[in-house]
Amino acid sequence: MRRTAALIAAALIATGAAAQQHAGLSPLAASPEELRNIQRHGPWPQPVPRDPSNRVSGKAEAIALGRALFFDPRLSPRADLSCASCHLPERTLTDGRERAQGGGPAKPRLDRNTPGLWNVAQGRWFGWDGGSDSLWSFTPRPILHPDEMGASPAHVARLLRDDANLACRYAQAFGRAVPPEADAETALVDAAKALAAYLETLVSGKSAFDEFREALARGDAAAAARYPADARRGLSLFAGKGLCSVCHFGPNFSNGEFHNIGMPHMVEPGRVDPGRHGGIRRVRADKYNRLGAYSDDATRTSGSRTLHLTENHGNYGQFKVPSLRNVALTAPYMHDGRLATLREVVRHYSELDIDRLHQDGDALLKPLRLSDAESEDLVAFLRTLTSRGFPDLNPVTGPCKPQGQR
Amino acid sequence: MRAWLYVGALLAATPGLAADPLPIFDAHLHYSHDAWEMVPPKEVIALLKKGGVRRALVSSSSDDGTQMLYAEAPELIIPVLRPYRSRGEIGSWFQDPTVITHLEDRLKRYQYVGIGEFHLYGDSADLPVPRRMVELAREYKLFLHAHSDADAIERLFRRDPNARILWAHSGFEQPAKVRELLRKHKNLWADLAYRNEHGSGGKVDPEWRAAFMEFPDRFLVGTDTFAPERWHYVVEHANWSRAWLKDLPPAVAEKIAYKNGEALFGNMIKR
Repeated sequence: MRRTAALIAAALIATGAAAQQHAGLSPLAASPEELRNIQRHGPWPQPVPRDPSNRVSGKAEAIALGRALFFDPRLSPRADLSCASCHLPERTLTDGRERAQGGGPAKPRLDRNTPGLWNVAQGRWFGWDGGSDSLWSFTPRPILHPDEMGASPAHVARLLRDDANLACRYAQAFGRAVPPEADAETALVDAAKALAAYLETLVSGKSAFDEFREALARGDAAAAARYPADARRGLSLFAGKGLCSVCHFGPNFSNGEFHNIGMPHMVEPGRVDPGRHGGIRRVRADKYNRLGAYSDDATRTSGSRTLHLTENHGNYGQFKVPSLRNVALTAPYMHDGRLATLREVVRHYSELDIDRLHQDGDALLKPLRLSDAESEDLVAFLRTLTSRGFPDLNPVTGPCKPQGQR
Repeated sequence: MRAWLYVGALLAATPGLAADPLPIFDAHLHYSHDAWEMVPPKEVIALLKKGGVRRALVSSSSDDGTQMLYAEAPELIIPVLRPYRSRGEIGSWFQDPTVITHLEDRLKRYQYVGIGEFHLYGDSADLPVPRRMVELAREYKLFLHAHSDADAIERLFRRDPNARILWAHSGFEQPAKVRELLRKHKNLWADLAYRNEHGSGGKVDPEWRAAFMEFPDRFLVGTDTFAPERWHYVVEHANWSRAWLKDLPPAVAEKIAYKNGEALFGNMIKR
């Protein structure tokens, strides 16, 4: 009821403000439908859901262990790569490269772009292909992949056991000593769960868009008027004729699913990235998935989506719809980083090659045919999704004090 | 000992008895200009062979792509003439009279088994360009490969009741509608390209099973390589098709997998 009243108030204010606007769209002018669309992109921040498949999700001691591991290059046997080597704190937890760079002397160019990690816990599938159904089950992928950290479960178990600080944090997080060599895989999974617990804490702050959205909701014309006019016009395109918000939906600007937007997906001559088609196979076969023995969800109900996944022809070449929060800070774009700027991204949608999409498969997508001014407005809107502030990512966690000591 | 060797050799040489995978006649492939460098002709042919594709119905924007593949493997590629000279004509070709000049020119120069795949819906099928295209198909005794709704299919048959039409994606219609049209038009065949629901998870849907059992001679499978990368999906698609075909009686499965395609198109090209 209160929300309805706020919407009506905002609409009334919008009408008045629109009359005063001399050029372009008023920051407040909006139809009730547009107001509803805008409100769907909040509130922000959203509560972080606890993961029932991870018993240490949200547990402070596990978060501390995960934080220590995230910044520790010794997770890689060569000690040359930590999670933070690619998810750089100073680069909005991505690396600025088109495609990620692996570890070891060869530093191979990997197949995909490094996604940012802010607000990652809002996702439902993890990785560009959604090949993992939980945050914790994704983390062993870079740890074990020979082109990335190249570790083994035994290596991770040894690291946890041999480092007194990590062993202490492990004991506090999991209530037991690090498993013996024979059960190294459990140690790996626990490390993954601790890392996930830490990643769940990476929540970015409010953006100019959020402030505008809240101003609209409470009918605060003065506050809403501070939102830039070009971004306001871009928002109308985004939620209106551009239909962007159909996929970039909700508070995190992603529906969490996968789409083919006509992006090429050849990795190199003779090799194609199958995208979601491969991801569905991967997640179903993943021994760490929500249905597997390592899941802490005794009911396995959180794995029902995984259980019912079936790949279809349209999944080939689909990639995850990324969140747009902080998108201006996470260039380059797309699953393989082939688009360097937001302008290029907007141009892609504006000049979409529909022949690369199946006529009956992705009927939503049509070339937007935006003018230069409209394109600039859309980019201006996207820039307002940048958070005003980010929580501290200080890697130093200090020595672990055994329980009972202060 | 000799007898066992003889039996072994016989098994290996007999189709269907040996461990060879079910051959596939892929009735829906395109080799358009943006694919030529990304997946060169030799690689295309290698992928088809790797997938166990025995014959392949190919149409391209432009037709030069089809001709390149045909030159590379005439025993494998069966050319179909697309009315599109480049990508991007899907939504305009039926109003463009120069398409007819293009078709007439290519038909004089090369051999084809059909015209298509073209995109045509509703009353657009009655426009002059599609009407002339139907006449050309009749004149050259060619199939029409139509990506169309049921309405356009009906209109094409009204234009030429003896036309032979391969219905791309079976119009994305429900199986009941596909059966209705197959009953009504004896010269209609249905390709299943880019559809999943008939054989998802290796199980044939009951409604589709009824359609396949009623018309075992009228269905074909196809990958639809509408983007260059999808050539690398040909093998995957062939295996996916084999999985659901296995859920049908073997004789029906063989027809849909390759025998229908062979019977319809196998002897149309004179070499």
